Amino acid sequence: MKRVLFLFLVAILLTVTISAGAQEPVTITISTWAGVDEAAELQVLIDEINAEVTGYQIVHQPIPGDYFPTVQTQLAGGTGADLYWLDQNQMAIKSEGVLMPLTECLADSEPETAGDVNDYYPGILAVNEYEGDVYGLPWIAQPVVLYYNRAIFDAADVAYPEAGWTWDDFMAMGMELTQDTDADGEIDQWGFTNNGWPPPFIFVWQAGGEAISADFTTSPIDSPEFVEGFEFYLSTAYNPELSPSREVISEQGFGEMFKAGSIAMFMGGAADDLDRVDGMDVGVIHVPANPTTGDITTFAWNASTVVNGNTANPEEACDALVQITEAIQGWKIVSPRISQATVEHLVESEPRKEPNAEAIIAAAGDMRALPIFGNYSRWDATFWSEFWGPLLNNETDLSVAELAAEVRVDLEETLSD
Amino acid sequence: MNLGVLGTYLPTLARYVAVMVGIAVIMLIAYRVQRFLGVKQEAATGRTLIMPWLIGFLIFNVFTIGSSLYLSFTEYNLFRAPEWVGFDNFSEIFDLQIAPLESAAQRSSDALPPRYDEVQRVTLGDGGFVIGARMEEFWRSLRLTLLYAVLTVPLGIVASLGVALLLNQKVRLLGFWRVLYYMPAILPSIATILLWRWIFSGSGLLNGLFAPFYRAAGIAAPSWLTNPDLVLIVFVVFSLWGVFGANSVILLAGLKGIPQELYEAADIDGADEWAKFRNVTLPMLSPSLFYNLVTSTIAALQVFEAAAFIDIPDSVGTFLNWLIYQEAFNFRNMGMASAMAWIMLLLILALTALVFRSSSAWVFYQGAKDAN
Repeated sequence: MKRVLFLFLVAILLTVTISAGAQEPVTITISTWAGVDEAAELQVLIDEINAEVTGYQIVHQPIPGDYFPTVQTQLAGGTGADLYWLDQNQMAIKSEGVLMPLTECLADSEPETAGDVNDYYPGILAVNEYEGDVYGLPWIAQPVVLYYNRAIFDAADVAYPEAGWTWDDFMAMGMELTQDTDADGEIDQWGFTNNGWPPPFIFVWQAGGEAISADFTTSPIDSPEFVEGFEFYLSTAYNPELSPSREVISEQGFGEMFKAGSIAMFMGGAADDLDRVDGMDVGVIHVPANPTTGDITTFAWNASTVVNGNTANPEEACDALVQITEAIQGWKIVSPRISQATVEHLVESEPRKEPNAEAIIAAAGDMRALPIFGNYSRWDATFWSEFWGPLLNNETDLSVAELAAEVRVDLEETLSD
Repeated sequence: MNLGVLGTYLPTLARYVAVMVGIAVIMLIAYRVQRFLGVKQEAATGRTLIMPWLIGFLIFNVFTIGSSLYLSFTEYNLFRAPEWVGFDNFSEIFDLQIAPLESAAQRSSDALPPRYDEVQRVTLGDGGFVIGARMEEFWRSLRLTLLYAVLTVPLGIVASLGVALLLNQKVRLLGFWRVLYYMPAILPSIATILLWRWIFSGSGLLNGLFAPFYRAAGIAAPSWLTNPDLVLIVFVVFSLWGVFGANSVILLAGLKGIPQELYEAADIDGADEWAKFRNVTLPMLSPSLFYNLVTSTIAALQVFEAAAFIDIPDSVGTFLNWLIYQEAFNFRNMGMASAMAWIMLLLILALTALVFRSSSAWVFYQGAKDAN
């Protein structure tokens, strides 16, 4: 009996091992943070690729919860998927030697394909670059644009924002649109809203300031340009003449207030659903320009797909990376590729964006990504807890310039770590 | 042969089966070796059967605890080999500065050396002093965690004792009440945290209920979760939710174990209810209270889920366990996180030892008295 049991176990083990080892083509796994719906949409793309390629098959292994700690642990343990999605902040691990450098395997890519690194917006690709090599292919770069509710503008007899509008125009419009519409003595309609979003870097960059220098050695947040941009940003937050208080936002919801028709202008990502609310006529335009520089730079959230440095099948993984990136760039908006910066491509990816496609494509040309480096998460936490947070929440008596001079030291310490 | 999704999982399954077979083989060999060495069959079988658990304990507990101790003396970011730095991590944590304040209005940053941030400010008349640290977030978090423990442990024990006394009454539908009061203990902690978060949010149940009062009084609704002065109170209220569960059951079991003769004897002596509670119930219940005190203290110092789901203002700090997690996985600073974890372990050990040392003064053990 014992012998039979032992032989049975050995037989199972051998069968399983042989069947697993005999499989052809190789399996290339990809892990993403996709939830149920997003994973189902991604699976359609993967099925299409799998039907066309011969050397490998892509298998999706979603990690919808606790994504980045899981990915880091897998990479540290030398296990995990062949491909991963990483957002801009997570791309900080590009300098850690756990991702596969892609420059060589992408060298022969056809022009204007997902593998052509020259076809990406340089500022977005930079998030994926480290010491001359490329470690990820971006699949989305979502610029912040300004959504405005035409009905509110019409009711107040205020002209819609037009190309070339400035911070001054924005403030004037916003204040005019901030009203007590039912005459009960309380403001119930605001020109704008800011609860920490949008990112202050939009205004800082437009004014000519930098949070981190290009060589990642200094954090010049006390420069006059940075201070100018940050001060303007603060003037748009919880300003009773322009925007709701944090209590009102907390009570009524941030984005929900725009959808409910009580906010006239809202800065959101180009892919947001703010312009497809039933019964609401919403326009999209680039963020207002700095009145002195005329700059309309905007912030872009971006994400990429990378290859695990420990993949057992680097060639197939690289090819799968190009294939899946190409597919995702036709699914997500806005594509980070210059050759795809067309209204046609955007509408093909997301037909519901057709009315505002032109404005979104125009904004893509002015988008910029965060300056990501290895210790960015520490820099970001310090910037928030010592500078941005205290100023936004009125927890300091210091001016922007005074606090900036003080916090700069701590920020630069994170650069040298 | 293309097995699709199975192609990914079959190798994993194969590895699991291989591990299972491997352990079985090791157990068989261990048993044979013991028998060969003359160990009795019963002892050899027992040791062999405990072996899988022992292997798991050694790998997943002893090894990881040992690794954490080693890592606390290193700089390790998960991806590169740990670099030995000796006591640097501990030195950085304990790098504190006390600076005098020339006036009560003087800013801490003007009094403290560069790179030191305020942990605690003490104002004395028109002066005072400020305590600063390089790792101020650690000290703020330690302060919050200790304050939380100091407030919640006694409150929790008193509340759970009250609930146990209520459930020990001879009332109708006693079984129903006992089930009702135990319900919080079996509800998923994350779900209850999210519920509490909603109750205390700006537009939550609490502010909604009190809205007419706030309007009448002409005051703004409190920001329970974002006001640094209120947030600790909120967490203390959360913590009381737990007392209706396991702690009350343990105390109820303790109450049930008190011999009725003691109460009868007290009645004969003319003792009133308070005297019986003070001189019979409390001493007889003291072992259960002691157990609750130890476990509640440890649990209070290890709060994690609530901090993970509720943002706490930076100026207050956060709970130590959550800070350790953040340091490890947000900043990939495993060495520093391990050092913090060991400091927390030593703190818990010290407090537990203190409670144990004090037990001889207030815990009554029937057997121990009899032996004397």
